[in-house]
Amino acid sequence: MTALATNLRVVKALGMRSIRQTFRRPQLLAPIVVFPTILLAIQTGGAGSAVNLPGFPEVQSFLQFMLAGAMMQSLMLAGNSGGIAFAVDIEMGFTDRLFAAPISRFTIVLGRLAGTAALGLFSALWFLAIGLVFGAEIESGLWGALIAIVLVTASATAVGGIGAAIALRTGSASVVQGLFPLVLVVLFVSSAFFPVDLMIEPAKVIAEYNPMSFIVEGIREPIISGVDASDLLGAVAAILGIFGLGLVLSARALRHRLRVG
Amino acid sequence: MEATVALPAWRANLATIGALMARARNELLRVPGAAIPGVLAPTIFFLGLNGVFGALTQLRGFEVGAYESFIVPISMLQGAGFTGAAAGVNMARDIEQGWLDRLLVSPAPRWVLLAATVLSASARALIPATFVLAVALPLGAGWPGLDGLLVTFLMVAAMAAVAACWGSFLALRFKSQSAAPLMQAGMMAAILTTTAYAPLALLQPWLREVAEVNPVTEVVEAARQGFVGTVTWSETWPGLLALAGLFLVLGALALRQMRRTGH
Amino acid sequence: MPAIEVAALERAFDDVKAVQGVDLEVAEGEIYGFLGPNGAGKTTTVRMLTTLLLPTAGRATVAGHDVVKEAREVRATIGVALQEAALDPLMKGRELIRLQATLQGLPGAEGKRRADALLERVGLSDAAERRVGGYSGGMKRRLDLAAALVHEPRVLFLDEPTTGLDPVSRKTIWEEVRALNDDGTTVFLTTQYLEEADQLADNVAIIDDGRIVAEGTPAALKADIGDPHIRLQLEEGSIAEAERAVAAVGKLLPPVDGKTVMVEVADGAAEIPAVVRALDEAGVAVGALELVHPTLDDVFVAKTGKHIPTDGDTA
Repeated sequence: MTALATNLRVVKALGMRSIRQTFRRPQLLAPIVVFPTILLAIQTGGAGSAVNLPGFPEVQSFLQFMLAGAMMQSLMLAGNSGGIAFAVDIEMGFTDRLFAAPISRFTIVLGRLAGTAALGLFSALWFLAIGLVFGAEIESGLWGALIAIVLVTASATAVGGIGAAIALRTGSASVVQGLFPLVLVVLFVSSAFFPVDLMIEPAKVIAEYNPMSFIVEGIREPIISGVDASDLLGAVAAILGIFGLGLVLSARALRHRLRVG
Repeated sequence: MEATVALPAWRANLATIGALMARARNELLRVPGAAIPGVLAPTIFFLGLNGVFGALTQLRGFEVGAYESFIVPISMLQGAGFTGAAAGVNMARDIEQGWLDRLLVSPAPRWVLLAATVLSASARALIPATFVLAVALPLGAGWPGLDGLLVTFLMVAAMAAVAACWGSFLALRFKSQSAAPLMQAGMMAAILTTTAYAPLALLQPWLREVAEVNPVTEVVEAARQGFVGTVTWSETWPGLLALAGLFLVLGALALRQMRRTGH
Repeated sequence: MPAIEVAALERAFDDVKAVQGVDLEVAEGEIYGFLGPNGAGKTTTVRMLTTLLLPTAGRATVAGHDVVKEAREVRATIGVALQEAALDPLMKGRELIRLQATLQGLPGAEGKRRADALLERVGLSDAAERRVGGYSGGMKRRLDLAAALVHEPRVLFLDEPTTGLDPVSRKTIWEEVRALNDDGTTVFLTTQYLEEADQLADNVAIIDDGRIVAEGTPAALKADIGDPHIRLQLEEGSIAEAERAVAAVGKLLPPVDGKTVMVEVADGAAEIPAVVRALDEAGVAVGALELVHPTLDDVFVAKTGKHIPTDGDTA
């Protein structure tokens, strides 16, 4: 069997394991799905009148606007959750078992990312379903839904790389868990929950340059209007940038972990 | 063997509550950074919500001045909710690690054990509330006046007590820290399905109906009054009544669950 | 009045009966050993007697108080050191004992005095101002024991007090238990270690699958099983020849493998010369010879058909 085929098999096996880990324990899904759903409901109900503000984009409803933000929140929590699970594996010694196996070490990271990608896919499908059930339309139809799903899944994988890097570097689940407030901060200073033009300084300025805003807009546009090439390119570039950063950080952290044991 | 010397029951109970509260304090004093998450989360919410939804004050019907003033009591109450839920998580950890058994085999009454958890949470909730306020005031939140401040902190402490009862009930029911998301989500939903984001008239119909029956709305309005206007008894007593009712119900559930731990 | 009296005690968890109709009586001032493998029902029984768990049937009294109807009175008279030493790692040793004193209703000054005395007694005075999280396993058990004694209980429950400890720490705990008993404290001790029950207990109950299968003094239980036996490892000669030779001296026991012969001898060590002589005359060379007395495990095997698993450190 070629090295590539072997690595793919390993990634698949480890990916299946991480998927099973998450979906077999509902308490791990709660932060990824339940919290963002509750927040979506509350923010839609509480701030829904915002659609009447001058300058608010033309949308069918505030829910339609917020779906992308909910997916963003969920995928970032999925990345954090994947990092926590990876750190638990390190604490328990499971990764040592993998390191001692005749496999490419980087497949261990990729396997974990495969699990995070599956969570991202689940989030995308969940919130699209929520939207449809509660009357939000996907303006660009099936293509728009597919684009959203792909972008969310890819973003989850990219963010998961950062989570994996932190897990490898620190080896501590509580440290990774402690980064949860950071997830909130990043989301609040993006266009996840409100149009950038209507945000208050300094959040507005930060949101204009926040890569998460580019990703959110890429997911949102097909839902609230149509597929926009520049928004899509911006999202893809941001995802690739985060993914690249995650890969570099993970590779360094992996070398560090192998050195210190 | 000499006879055991014992205090009168009321003094023993007070001493037990004090000793257990001192133990709860250890986490803050002896674990570096333990207080940070509890303080950080409501502060982030305050800054985030203000930065994101601040423009809502431009809507007709939102005549309350600065959004900071409108939202700061929500963040303070959220801090109370987090703190109380965290007390529940700590109790669940104590159950998992067998520490609660040590308390349950002692002659200390069950209500005394619960009272220590509740009072600790109430006191601890004042820390994030103070921090949020200290951040909000320079950013434009109006000074609530001494009466407004007292009412708000009273609501915060009492809300934390309610949250601690909720968290303790779940901890004793499920005997596991995996109930933590339920503890947190319950409090989040209770506090945010109110006039948290906007006045009642501007809420979406479904949330308006929920907020109208949610007793925590009265707590929010009572805590907020000093920040957006003046403090009156007519705005305060419904919040006190709501908290008293919630405390009685959730406290009774928690106490019942504690008494049933051996069943 | 017995210190502990149990009649038809049962505890069911859904369809599973963890404890099935246990009867026992513990006299004042006794060390009572409750021996059995993991999952036999020891901890469940202790939790019922210490009011942490309600029985589903039967009744029990501790120090004259019913564990269900007079639970609070029971708690005031017992000391408990449970299987998992439930200690707060953030607390200092002295703080923990003083907290326990407060829980027991002792005045502050009295609690302080007793804490100092107990820490001295269990050899933890020097570590008293250190956090429990930094204690070794043996230190934690000693601290747990000290905390259980702060209110000078009439009855002390120790649930597997030496599980996981090294042999030296185990011996230290044993010495402390003996000293407590010498002071008049009744001790109810659960253990999975045969030697512990043998060494410490005045009376032993062996529990398996929620039922008591044997009860009595360790000596009586072992004597009930049978005589000691001699175990021989052969160096040269056939097993058959060896068996024929020793059968004339004592009662031949069933073989365990192709190189070992076992013969029961009523007079113990006194029969060894006769066995050696018989084997010598048969031309059988013995590599190793051991006189084996019945153990509580033999009692367990006789009653249940299986061994009490050991974890290799029953030194």
